[in-house]
Amino acid sequence: MAPRKARKRDMLVESVYSVIALVFVLVTCVELCDAATVVDVYRLIQYDISGAPFGSRLASLNHHAGSLHFSPHADLSRTVLMIPLRELNMTFVTEYIVQRRPLGGLLFLLPQLFNFENRDGTGSNLQNHGKEPLKNLLEELEQILIHTNLPYPVYFAFEDEDVNFVLTDIKKNDATGQPATATTGGCKFVVSAPEPKKVASPTITNIQGWLAGMKTDDDASQLPTIAIVASYDTFGAAPALSVGSDSNGSGVAALLEIARLFSLLYSNPKTRGRYNLLFGLTSGGPYNYNGTHKWLRSFDQRLRESIDYAICLNSIASWEDELWIHVSKPPENAYIKQIFEGFSGVAEDLGIKVSLKHKKINISNSRVAWEHEQFSRLRVTAATISELSTAPELLEKTGSLVDARHFANETAITRSVKLIAEGLARHIYGHQEKNIHIFEDNSNLAVNPSYIRSWLDVISRTPRVAPFLPKDDPFVMALKKELEDHTDEVNLQREVLDGMFTFYDSTRAMLNIYQVASVTFDLLLLLVLGSYLIVLFSFLVITTRGLDDLISLFRRPPSRKVKTA
Amino acid sequence: MTVFHFFNCAILTFGPHAVYYSATPLSEYDTLGTSVKAAVVYLATALVKLVCLATFLKVSESDSFDPYQEFLKALIGFIDVAGLYFALTQLTHRNISQNHKFQAVGLGWAFADSVLHRLAPLWVGARGLEFTWDYILQGLEANANLVLSISLAALGSLMWLRKNKPKTLIPIIYICAGIVATMPSITSYLKRGLGWHFPKVVGFELFTSLVMAFTSWQLFAACQRPSV
Repeated sequence: MAPRKARKRDMLVESVYSVIALVFVLVTCVELCDAATVVDVYRLIQYDISGAPFGSRLASLNHHAGSLHFSPHADLSRTVLMIPLRELNMTFVTEYIVQRRPLGGLLFLLPQLFNFENRDGTGSNLQNHGKEPLKNLLEELEQILIHTNLPYPVYFAFEDEDVNFVLTDIKKNDATGQPATATTGGCKFVVSAPEPKKVASPTITNIQGWLAGMKTDDDASQLPTIAIVASYDTFGAAPALSVGSDSNGSGVAALLEIARLFSLLYSNPKTRGRYNLLFGLTSGGPYNYNGTHKWLRSFDQRLRESIDYAICLNSIASWEDELWIHVSKPPENAYIKQIFEGFSGVAEDLGIKVSLKHKKINISNSRVAWEHEQFSRLRVTAATISELSTAPELLEKTGSLVDARHFANETAITRSVKLIAEGLARHIYGHQEKNIHIFEDNSNLAVNPSYIRSWLDVISRTPRVAPFLPKDDPFVMALKKELEDHTDEVNLQREVLDGMFTFYDSTRAMLNIYQVASVTFDLLLLLVLGSYLIVLFSFLVITTRGLDDLISLFRRPPSRKVKTA
Repeated sequence: MTVFHFFNCAILTFGPHAVYYSATPLSEYDTLGTSVKAAVVYLATALVKLVCLATFLKVSESDSFDPYQEFLKALIGFIDVAGLYFALTQLTHRNISQNHKFQAVGLGWAFADSVLHRLAPLWVGARGLEFTWDYILQGLEANANLVLSISLAALGSLMWLRKNKPKTLIPIIYICAGIVATMPSITSYLKRGLGWHFPKVVGFELFTSLVMAFTSWQLFAACQRPSV
């Protein structure tokens, strides 16, 4: 009796040891991680230019996560790389993105600096010298991304505590040389989004405000018109993040302020000028100023001929002391000379340097680099005032990710507004030679910086990629209402964006981050549970019926066979 | 993979009940009917408990530990004991020994409890993509609960069914039964009053269940000795 009991105990102890050992193996297999994290992500734009695909071609994502510390020979075709912008280097970009190596997906983490929803301005803990390289890097990355066809989902997200926690977790895993796969477990990124669909006939909306000049009775002919134009829509790597504070939110804010100033002047018959003022907020700017083109086409001949000149505003929020006036007629042209001399006279008074830049139009080329070129093509004298010294390429400087409110300087806009408004006023009232300041500071006609700032803030929070703006977008309605307040007559013009661009929807999504256990873990767990149940069974049989019963349980079947045989 | 995990957790939660039934002489004496009856009694008891909880307890906004409310809850918890009493004494069982009767009742009781409290969360949660230890711990808790239920049934059968037991053991039996019956309140106190985490609570439950099982086993054996 005694030896049997001892044997039993030994057996039990042994089985208990093995169970404990297995449990330890399990615990080391999987690190504890908290519940699923949900992150707002913004998809890289997906578009076609005349049928050629560009951008991220997929939206749904279901892959394990990895960091930049992957081993060089790892197969990344089923891995989402989570890349903070700070750690991005261009060798990776050229190696994997430009050469289009297979990846499961990409998730770029942007600093809070670029987040327009981050209103309190936190996240600017970066030193000033740290911002510029980041900005340049992001700008470079963005140009590469939007001009490459990437057959996997690419998303942007902003760094925050949750995301950084996940990132450190992933890095830790990668550092141990155990990239997340189905067999090892780890973090899994899931974006359940439907297949991106083409945006059917994207519309663009132009807003036009008309401020009529004073008509004297003896003057039978039509009054000349001055047009002030800014394009308000954007194009960027992530349509849901493309706010374009500088390009061209600054132009829109300046235009609204100029409209406000002249509405004050024109509301009084004594100061009402002999020029009509035409304010145009055009759409389709990034696409060769398609909206401007349609808007001009819709004018009747008489109006078009009455336009004395048009001033287009483009990117005027981050210049130091020099502005450029871009024209497409040679500087010797009398009209151009008149415009330039008018503005440079005012600029001198304000201590601003204004330079003229001439760029010929190539009619056979469909590329329209400046908004004024659309006017010039229709033989209307026009100029673009901008801080940019050279014409941007297609889809460049149109409201990219880096073009955030943080980098837009409202004093620059205020100064530009002063320059333009003063220049226009001198032309309208014929004070070219005299040094008269109409919009003097501290007068009731002074340029209002807080008005500009508040509009710039609103604009910098509103992504404005035209194909994704609904027909009655509140922002467009707000612009219309604001112009209605300042001008006599406001018209909305809705057109279909034509040309070679096709856009695809699903611009933002929710990323679910799961901590998943591996198949190996589940198998091990099954093994442990199985052995636990077997041990339990044996234990119960032994304690209630005795060991002999247990042994006989295994012996019985063969004996039965013998009997039946 | 996640269905796999669900399967694992289900094995952990419900496996021991089946193993207990098949490994012990319960299966030989075909006491399934008794267990089913006990499960039905459990369901009825749970219903009564729910009604009582809904009637007498305030819905607490915070997750803090309120002694008065918890005392009420513990009192209502004793309805379980009443249910068990009914299952042990009033149900007409087939002629099975007391020894097997309490095991069958405890088993049915614990199984019904597991099904009622753990099956739905398991089905909803364990199939999700996110991995947590919660469902494995919950399975372990179900094991502890099985042991506790059988201990309570054993103590109950000692209290109500066995007439000739040693006088000295009677208070011990009652104390043990009291401890086992108040286990839900104790764990609730640990969880919310002391802020213990789930793994720690489950560890405690496993430990106490083993201790209680051992004591009730000893008590049962001690009561059996004089009668033999």
